[in-house]
Amino acid sequence: MSLYFEEISVGYEIPKLVKGPLHKLQHVIYAGASGDFNPLHTDDDFARAVGMKDGVITHGMLIMGFVGQAITAWIPRRDLRRFTVRFAGMTRPGNTITITGRVVDKRTRDGENLITCEVVAVDEQGDVKVSGSFDASLPSKG
Amino acid sequence: MADKTKVGKEYAPIRWEVERGKIAEFAKAIGDPNPIYLDRQAAIREGYKDTPAPPTFLTVPMMWSSSMPGVITDLAINFMMVLHGEEEYEYYRQIYPGDILTGIPRVASIEEKTSKAGRKMDMVTIEILYTDQMNEKVAKARSLLVERK
Repeated sequence: MSLYFEEISVGYEIPKLVKGPLHKLQHVIYAGASGDFNPLHTDDDFARAVGMKDGVITHGMLIMGFVGQAITAWIPRRDLRRFTVRFAGMTRPGNTITITGRVVDKRTRDGENLITCEVVAVDEQGDVKVSGSFDASLPSKG
Repeated sequence: MADKTKVGKEYAPIRWEVERGKIAEFAKAIGDPNPIYLDRQAAIREGYKDTPAPPTFLTVPMMWSSSMPGVITDLAINFMMVLHGEEEYEYYRQIYPGDILTGIPRVASIEEKTSKAGRKMDMVTIEILYTDQMNEKVAKARSLLVERK
């Protein structure tokens, strides 16, 4: 299934994705898969010792991974050209993360039909964890 | 504080052979049920030649190669004061099982900034350009590290 450039307009909202609630076990699984073994994400005693009074925090890259899931549930993986995020806030076990996004630009350049979308991941309080954007090159019906 | 004389410096290459099982493991760790990452036949039905790597997969060679601690140490950045501020990927083609990736980490820039609260920070951007076994560009990863001072 493909989305066509002609079908997308500025302001279009990408389908919302809800992830969680997060559990410490997912931190351990993600640590093993990604190779990020910083104990800040898996060891409550270590996290408290470095100032996280509530214990471990979630890998920021796992939240970026959730955003990537939302993007490639909407557009084919092959159409993604650029994906950038800023890590805005810490996520903890128990948080439920909601990813939303919308198209903010649409243009044709060097024969490519490009869209730019802004994306944001927030917790159940609406606090922003990750904000970012991506570019995708969509096929044309033409 | 970060050693500004090292802007432009390149570090030892990351070498990584991409495996189908690792792609599926990474997608499962995210909880991404998209069958193109998990099932070769499903990926082929969607027009891929095999299970493609998910968008953030390049964190795997970067983290498993443990290259970043060496870079941070060489730049004289204080580990305890560093935060991952931003991450960016540019994609030039799909990454598939069997690809042998080479990533060259490079210090792209080091800039001093002052936060709204008046705190000085060094903004260190590390780029890793990945090529494949045909020496073709695959993707570029860009990480912004923030060292609070």
